[in-house]
Amino acid sequence: MRDCFVRCAIAVAAASFVAGICREARAFDEPAFFRGLNLNGPPIVIDGNAWDGRDSTTYTCNDRPVENQNIVLLPATDAARASMIRSSVYGGNRVELSDVPAGMYTVFLYVWEDNNSENFSISVNGSKVLDHNSGATGRWDKLGPWPVKVKKNGKIVLTSQGGAANFSGIEVWRGDYDGLEKPISEEELAFFEKRIRPLLVNKCYECHSAESTELQGDLLVDSRSTLHRGGGKGPAVVPGDLDQSLLIEAVRYDNDEMQMPPDEKLSDAEISDLEHWIKIGAPDPRSTASKHLGKQIDIEAARQFWSLKPISNPTIPTVKDTAWPKSDIDRFVLAKMEERGFAPTADADKRTLIRRATFDLIGMPPTIDEVNSFLDDDSAEAFANVVDRLLSSPRYGERWGRHWLDVVRYADTAGDNSDYPIPQIHRYRDWVIEAFNRDLPYDEFVRDQLAGDLRGGDTEEQRIERLVATGYIANSRRFGSRVDDYPQHLTIEDTIDNLGRTFLGMTVSCARCHDHKFDPITNRDYYGLYGIFHSTRYPWPGIELDKKQRDFVPLVAPDKVAELEHAILARSKEQKRLDDQVNKLKKLVEQASEQDKPDAELKLKEAEELAKDHRKLPPLAETAYAVADAATVEDVSIQMKGDPMRPGDIVPRHFLTVLGGQEVPAEAETSGRKELAEWILADDNPLPARVMANRIWQHHFGRGIVPTPNDFGKQGKPATHLELLDYLATQFKSGGWSMKAMHRLMMLSRAYQQSSERDEKAIEQDPANEWLSGFSRRRLDAEAIRDTLLELGNSLDLSVAGAHPFPPSHSWEFTQHKPFKATYETQHRSVYLMTQRIQRHPFLAIFDGADPSTSTGNRMSTTTPLQALYLLNDPFVHDQSNRIAERIMAQASDDESRLRFAYQLLFARNPSVDEVDVANEFLSNARQLLDENQVEGERIDREAWQACVRSLCRLNEFVYVD
Amino acid sequence: MMHNGSSQSEFGRREVIRSLFAGSMLMPGLLSELLASETPSVGETLGAGDPLAPKSGHFQAKAKRVIFVFSNGGVSHMDAFDYKPDLFKADGQKMGVGGGLSNQQRKLLKPLWDFKPGGKCGTLVSDLFPHLREKMDDICLIKSLNGNDNEHYNATLGMHTGSFFFSRPSIGSWVSYGLGTENQNLPSFIALAPQMPYAGTQIFNNDFLPAYHQGVRVIGGKEPIADLNRRSKQQGLQELELGFADVLNNKHLHERAKDSDLSARIRSFETAFRMQTDAPEAFDVNQENDKTLEMYGLKRGDNEGFGWQCLVARRLAERGVRFIELVDGSSSHNWDQHGDMAEHADHAKVIDKPLAGLLQDLKDRGMFEDTLVVWTTEFGRTPGVDGDKGRGHHSACFSSWLAGAGVKGGMSYGSTDEIGATVAENGVHVHDFHATILHLLGIDHTRLTYRSAGRDYRLTDVHGRVVQEILT
Repeated sequence: MRDCFVRCAIAVAAASFVAGICREARAFDEPAFFRGLNLNGPPIVIDGNAWDGRDSTTYTCNDRPVENQNIVLLPATDAARASMIRSSVYGGNRVELSDVPAGMYTVFLYVWEDNNSENFSISVNGSKVLDHNSGATGRWDKLGPWPVKVKKNGKIVLTSQGGAANFSGIEVWRGDYDGLEKPISEEELAFFEKRIRPLLVNKCYECHSAESTELQGDLLVDSRSTLHRGGGKGPAVVPGDLDQSLLIEAVRYDNDEMQMPPDEKLSDAEISDLEHWIKIGAPDPRSTASKHLGKQIDIEAARQFWSLKPISNPTIPTVKDTAWPKSDIDRFVLAKMEERGFAPTADADKRTLIRRATFDLIGMPPTIDEVNSFLDDDSAEAFANVVDRLLSSPRYGERWGRHWLDVVRYADTAGDNSDYPIPQIHRYRDWVIEAFNRDLPYDEFVRDQLAGDLRGGDTEEQRIERLVATGYIANSRRFGSRVDDYPQHLTIEDTIDNLGRTFLGMTVSCARCHDHKFDPITNRDYYGLYGIFHSTRYPWPGIELDKKQRDFVPLVAPDKVAELEHAILARSKEQKRLDDQVNKLKKLVEQASEQDKPDAELKLKEAEELAKDHRKLPPLAETAYAVADAATVEDVSIQMKGDPMRPGDIVPRHFLTVLGGQEVPAEAETSGRKELAEWILADDNPLPARVMANRIWQHHFGRGIVPTPNDFGKQGKPATHLELLDYLATQFKSGGWSMKAMHRLMMLSRAYQQSSERDEKAIEQDPANEWLSGFSRRRLDAEAIRDTLLELGNSLDLSVAGAHPFPPSHSWEFTQHKPFKATYETQHRSVYLMTQRIQRHPFLAIFDGADPSTSTGNRMSTTTPLQALYLLNDPFVHDQSNRIAERIMAQASDDESRLRFAYQLLFARNPSVDEVDVANEFLSNARQLLDENQVEGERIDREAWQACVRSLCRLNEFVYVD
Repeated sequence: MMHNGSSQSEFGRREVIRSLFAGSMLMPGLLSELLASETPSVGETLGAGDPLAPKSGHFQAKAKRVIFVFSNGGVSHMDAFDYKPDLFKADGQKMGVGGGLSNQQRKLLKPLWDFKPGGKCGTLVSDLFPHLREKMDDICLIKSLNGNDNEHYNATLGMHTGSFFFSRPSIGSWVSYGLGTENQNLPSFIALAPQMPYAGTQIFNNDFLPAYHQGVRVIGGKEPIADLNRRSKQQGLQELELGFADVLNNKHLHERAKDSDLSARIRSFETAFRMQTDAPEAFDVNQENDKTLEMYGLKRGDNEGFGWQCLVARRLAERGVRFIELVDGSSSHNWDQHGDMAEHADHAKVIDKPLAGLLQDLKDRGMFEDTLVVWTTEFGRTPGVDGDKGRGHHSACFSSWLAGAGVKGGMSYGSTDEIGATVAENGVHVHDFHATILHLLGIDHTRLTYRSAGRDYRLTDVHGRVVQEILT
């Protein structure tokens, strides 16, 4: 107590000494001892604090006691502490402290080794905080400090995993406490105040204190605990150990990459002061941990960046060529063209237009009838009717749902080292497709995916749909093969990364280890979002070392859940009974005499069959790969440098500061996902409407107004037509977030209906067609190529695709040695192909399919010989070509009619005279060759036509849309 | 002249086309080349704009190509290349890091094989690799390699992509992206992977790099590359089909204003057509003489196995393929001896002679000077026991080697402690290993970047040091 008084007095004096140079570390509440617990001993006084004993009612622990007071402790310690340490508990290692009032706490755990060293990890409230080796016999450690935030009537749970740990005692402090308290002599204190503190203040605080504008290297030297904890590279000060103290290495200028202070080396006297100070144990009275609140975002300034400015309601520009525009979109587009000396190109012809529109909206070619009826329709609404017809086709959702699945990196497997299949996730895929088909307003689309489980529904059907929609979050990637130290922080990073890109066009996960280098997103912001997903229960798809699914959401009415749980429990009991019976009979077989053996074996076989059959019973309820709120919802610590084992400050769950920084209300008992959806959709957040309007535009025009659809930040590319984007965003919102309305708006513009033939000057000056002086020709994507071949070959299966034929879950034995790997053939549309997270589907990989492990905002369009080889030789191409040839041959008996039909089918047009000539030449040569090759009779004609179709399917005209 | 005017004048050339068709074995390349020479706008796209056109690196390269050999499962360093006399003595007596994945304290296990000096340099190599031992004067051994992860999957991914958790482009894709390729009729990056390694296709995946840089998997056997064999039985029919398509494609092209994508796609069919011939020829080791086959431990008629992979690697190297990866073993059959280290002998036997043969063959043909050969694995094994007689996973230190272009032969770099548990000096992290390989190819690893999702990515992330000490 006296020490403390003296220290405070001197500290005050010192504070006034430094006043004017730098303010003191930001004041926080002084930490205070809250509770000590001697887990296997009587109440005891340690460091002047009264500890509870093993009989305390403030905790529960079912571990076994172990005590050996004869072992010599390393290092030696005082008698009371030693007796506490040498009596401990082990086995199971779970201690639950109860009756902890809401607030911030710091926890320490005493462990020791009574015999052989062990490796184990420690978790606090379910989050792993440390890997530890217990060392040789007698070694003890006071582990911690670990910050914990407790909600009302809360608990603190400490557990260990791995080797056997001896838990001796637990010490809990209110507030943020470094646990480094030890007596400091007056002499030491005087040395610190006179020689060390001024040195640190003058030479280091500018960059390494709570008041630093931008904290360098994550290192704070303005409090004892932060100095000991150190920055990104490790502890700056290790008392008594010069070699391990990075501070010394830095000031000595030993390391070329870390020389501090950077401007000028300290004097030899100053360096020797620091060395002396660390040698004598680095006595330091600055007990209150300082905190740097991270990059302070100047919100006003940050929101001057184009994408963060409010959506303007731009005036429609006036244009010189008033005859051209058909719509406001056209006026925006033409104004930009005129500014740059470009002019629109001619309108596309009707055949080109319907082929373009059909591929755009449904990803397949128009039928011959569809083309003809459009050609025959001379009304002003002819094209609008085509657009409406296509938008009402169920094929529309399959096409545009796929675009969404690209962005949310949909896959049918989990992405862990064994890539466990997720048979249920197809429900999410189907929900997305259906959402597009029924034009679910985009705001509802967002809400359902982020928080559908918390929304309920007007009908049971709607409630279930919304549950399924949270498959968006469940679909986050899984990692590794281990259970006890499963890297949940990486799965959550994947969630945050994706939701940032998908809904906001922001690269939020760049702020996982540090403040975002380019955009106004702080490390605190990242962990503000992290807490929301930490408070969310993700389903467990299975992993090498824990193969069974769990925490999937049953699709039963709420009032049936209890009944279901009861049935599940009963079934699991029955399984255990059957398994026990098998084990019992196995023993009997072993013990049976020769005479009894056959009978015993027969009984065993019967029992084994029963147990096996029971295991194969279908699940008691259908389930969804969906999320729910976790049992504990709470704020989390910042993970320093992204390392979950280095917890920093606890931050409240909140939204990105620059977009409002709203916090989850303190009284909320939920994760905060529902709030998050509303923050994203808030009227003053300009991003979601801009981002989604841009995505729709991108798929119609081949290039986004913002060409980096997933990055509207400083590293992305700026909008070419910002006013147009704002116009579209405004229309999107005022139109009730209808996506189908956006398609109509864009496709009925004259800009969309231009020919793809641009004049040479435009091509030369604007090769990427940024200014839209024509339509951008483009290659069909992988799905459209495959779907077109299936459709033309009359092979397409349009029945409900449903689940993939995965092997039954009771047979799953996947490991990283033998991971799940399959390709399922199907005649369904390509959006229904089974897509693995970590193994590319062979066809999709060749044709630039979406990356199933990360968000694909833009598909690439490469041209490789492997694609050509596929079209030359793959059996699929040959089969479909043969079927198309059959169709063509059935249509007419003469080559010219057949050719006309083929061209209409494949290219939505008639062949020119010249093309007929060339084809005739080919057919004649092919027949001659086949004849020379001893092919006989009608097979000559058939094979010639098959070859002809194969050639046509390889043409640029087949895979490019004009 | 051809196909670039109005449709009338274009089909004034009908006779020409007809005559071209008349030779029923029309080579599609021929026609396209004719057209290309007449229309320079197409020709342009075949050169500088081609994503796989050969490029020079940042500085003078020592190596023109890489043969990258990866042994699955984790090859024990202390049983193969890192002699630890103390470990022999300490067998069963002392404790050290052991166990499976999680590295507990276990009894130390002595290596099962004796070490003997190899070559003039006298580098000690165990009896696991008697043939390679004779080649140590050509080999630069690194004994202090280390990685970040003790799981096969993650360590394998790390060794190939520099990333231990997330999918990233493979080193072969990075090299293809950086340097292009010298032979346009073969892929720039070929992975001879009869079986799947850990982490599957990710280890030769282009990831966010354009698909030109995708590793093409070769499995050996009758159809070594998917869709390489002609599907149609009719001799000459494919040539006709391609000729027909070529005429129509060129008509389509010339009716449109300049579009390099369209012309590049026309050309891709010519490349694919040639690949059908060139690739099987490259994989056909029967064209080699008996002496050469013997060097690789092959019998005439073999078209698979590790010796075949090594010999094909040399043949591909000769043909200008930039990066050739050889996968030894698979995720389920490999060097992962938790139960009995004696099984290492079986795996060593598979690769020892062919690898030694490959080095000798490259030397004999004067290719050793500009070909870099890399042998590595995902991690080493623990000095302490796992199971009864096995060893666990150990990423803290392990051995690998480099040979050929720009590398000092006959030397060892880095060392481990007395039992091979930790790096003692001159550690080489996986990132450093990658930086060094790129350096030998003339690439500054900090400057080979690709912008994806708002960030410039590198093979070496933000790390990597070129190990200058081992360079000639």
